[in-house]
Formats: sequence, C-alpha cells, structure tokens
Amino acid sequence: MNLMKSNIYFWLFTVIGFISSSLNAQDLLDTLEKEHPNTPQYEIATFKGTRISLGHSIENRKKGVLEIKAMNLFWNIPNRPSQSFVTDIWTARIALEYSISDRLTFGAGGSTLDGVFDGFLKYKLINQRRDSNTSPFSVTLFQNLSRQTKRYKAFQNANKLQTSFTSQILIARKFTPNFSLQVSPTFIHRGTSAINNDPHNHFAIGIGGRYKVGGHVALVSEYYYVANPIKSKDTYSPFVLGVNWEMSDLLLQFQLTNTRNMVEDIFITQTPNNFNFKDGNFVFGFNATFVLHLNQKRL
Amino acid sequence: MNKIIILLLLFNKLISFNEASNQIIARQGQVSFFSYTSVENIEAKNNQVLSIIDLSKKEIAISMLMNAFEFKKSLMHEHFNESYIESDLHPKATFKGHIIDFDPSLKVQTRIVKGIVVIRNISKEIEVKTEIQNINGKYSIAGNFDLSVKDFEIKIPPLLAPNIAKMIAVKFRFEYEPYEK
Repeated sequence: MNLMKSNIYFWLFTVIGFISSSLNAQDLLDTLEKEHPNTPQYEIATFKGTRISLGHSIENRKKGVLEIKAMNLFWNIPNRPSQSFVTDIWTARIALEYSISDRLTFGAGGSTLDGVFDGFLKYKLINQRRDSNTSPFSVTLFQNLSRQTKRYKAFQNANKLQTSFTSQILIARKFTPNFSLQVSPTFIHRGTSAINNDPHNHFAIGIGGRYKVGGHVALVSEYYYVANPIKSKDTYSPFVLGVNWEMSDLLLQFQLTNTRNMVEDIFITQTPNNFNFKDGNFVFGFNATFVLHLNQKRL
Repeated sequence: MNKIIILLLLFNKLISFNEASNQIIARQGQVSFFSYTSVENIEAKNNQVLSIIDLSKKEIAISMLMNAFEFKKSLMHEHFNESYIESDLHPKATFKGHIIDFDPSLKVQTRIVKGIVVIRNISKEIEVKTEIQNINGKYSIAGNFDLSVKDFEIKIPPLLAPNIAKMIAVKFRFEYEPYEK
C-alpha cells in the first residue's frame, strides 16, 4: 500500500515537473494570450441600422449620434389611366433620432400619408456577448406613440383621429458574422376604432433577419403576424424584402413591400393589401439615413 | 515523504520563477494608426496593447484586440470591425520578432526590430526602427512604421477608395515592468 502511494507521488511529481518546465519553454505570444484581461466582449453590428428595414432592430447608436432619416414609399393606384411621373403616390417620413446614451435613443418623425406624427424611446437592455454563453441574445425595449392628424384613407369609415401606442420587446441574436435573426413580440393599443367591434388592443409578433453578402451590403427581410387583426376590414401581414447598403456616414435601405406606412402601429395592424407585384399592392421603398456624430471622442 | 515532495515542488517553482524574471511586460501599451487623405482623416488609438520582451533572448511579442481601437466617430469603430478588419473572425493582431543587437544595459539605443506581424490571419515580415530607453531598469520602446492596406487583403469598395489611404501610418509606445507569473 505504502509502496503504491509513493509510486503515485512519484508520477505526480514527474507530471508537475514536466508541466512547469514546458510552461517555461513556451512561446512569448502564448504568454501574452493569457494576459489579455477578461473584459466582456459584446457583439456589435447585429444589424447595421436602427431599423432592420422598416421595423426597428435591436441596434441603438452610440451616445451623441444624431440620425437624420428620410423614409420613402412609392406605389401605383390600380386601374387608373395614370400620367404620374414614375409612380402615382409617394409618401415620406422625415425623422430625427438622437442617442442620449449608448443605450437610450429618442426619436420623432412626421409622415406625409395621413399626417402621422410619432415619437419613440428605445432602450437597449441586454447586449449579446461574443466570448461566453452568459447572454446569448441582445434585447431592446421599444415604445412609441403616434398621433394621426388626418383620416386614414385605407379605412374610409374611420372618422375619428387616433393616438396609438406600440410596445415591443426586440430580441435578436447574431448567429454568425453574416447572419442575424430577430423576434419582436409586439403589443399595439389603437386609440379609436372605426367600428366598435374592432379590437383596440392587438398582439403581434415580428420576425426579421439579416444576411451579410459583402462588407457593406446585406439582404434583409421582415414579416409581422397579427394574432387578433381588425375585423371590419381585411388586413394583411406586412412583408419586407430589402437590401441595406452603407457607405461611410450614409445608410441606404431599399425595400420591396406591401405596406404603405412607416409607423409601427399602422403598418403592423392596418396594411390593406397583400404582398404581390400588382399595381396597388406592390410598394417600393427606400430609407436614407445620415449619421451625424455630435460629440466625437477625443483620442 | 510528503514534505520532501512539497519541498521539491517549491524548488521547482523557484527555478521557473527565476527563469521568468528575465521577462518584462507592458499591459497598457499604446498603438495608434492614421489614414490621411484629401477627403477624410481617420485616426484610431488602442490603449490596451500587450507586449512582452525576453531580455536574455532579445525577443519581443505584441498582441492586441482589434475592437479595442477607439475612433473619434463611433460609426467608424463599427465599420472598422465589421466591414474592414472583420474582428469577428480575426479578433487579434500580433507581432513577434527579435531586437537586433539589443543591449539591455544601455540607457538609450536605436535598434531594428525584425519580425512577423499578423493581421486578419495574414502574416507579413516587417523591420521597424525602434527607440529603446532604459531608465533605472524601466524599459520603454517607441517607434513608427507604415503598413499597406493591400498587404492584408482589406476590401475597400471603389466608392470609398478615396477616403482611405493606401499606406496606414502606425505609431506605438510601450512601457514595461518586470513580469511575474
């Protein structure tokens, strides 16, 4: 027994001696590898813009960044002898979005269609970590308020103006350097309804993805499913297929879609037509976002 | 028996400690780079660069995290990591080389450091003129050199080519302290 014990010690000693001598002989770069501090490494650029394409992404800009945004949608009116230049209808949303801190963004905008004014707050709750599995997702909270100052044309019955609220929990994961996916549980409260039968509160879920095809170009897609849609009129799920292209301080987002509005509560619950390429259904869009750094870091 | 083994282990540890004490380390080394063009000047600084020198072997190694570079504009940081360096795939840049004719006892000396720099998993041999100071056993080294963007296969879209210089000027400074494991 005693012999066996000392035998174990002997082996232990040899092994430890071997390990420590190999430690001494190791490469300088290997030594440095262990010296890198264990600061958490967060995933960046899950999506490049603050919007996947139309709907919000989990991304916020860093503190002191002002985004100047022009979102445009174009479509044709069906069965109409039209002499319009390029398209029959153009609608735009002009917005300013300012990042108060690295996590909190405030934005406000106005849309030409139906005169919708909207404001939102967006707060980044959780950052996905690259170096460990302790936080596999990024989570951002989104709250907006929108006020319609003109009657919504797609719903002729609506004779009252409405204030609506949209709350979203945006959950995204960057699976690979090229591929990110987002799921967005959404709650929408619409202020008034044309017909009292229509629900005021809607539950919806959005799903969006990004696939990076080059250093500066990505394909994106979005889809929203509404669990309890408006009853008085047929509505359809908004769908977006798009290309994001960024160059320096400018981000361009092109879209093929079926929705005609750019404010969450309206495009999620009140898209009056399905996605196809017929006149009236097919909508082409592009967002131009200019990023202005109001407080630059001093190096 | 137990005591002997503990003694032996301690002795072993002591030897390895003595061997290692010939190494000096810099934990907050500074590396900055500059791209000057008529369109735009881009500047970035990394204050957390690690470097180690083995004084007896005259060897030097440097390692840095690419996403620790700070830019004036936060969007530049994102573009640098996401579109150019791809730090998701290649998080670190390293250098390993020899200090030619290094004499640890001299107070001030200018020496050539020759070695291999690795950025984006692409290796390139470089020679850098370096000023080495030794003030009462505290070593510091500093210098600058140029790197070609092309050598590291960094893709720049034609539209943005005028914004980024073909040669990037790199500046570095490390201050060392004795390395203890």
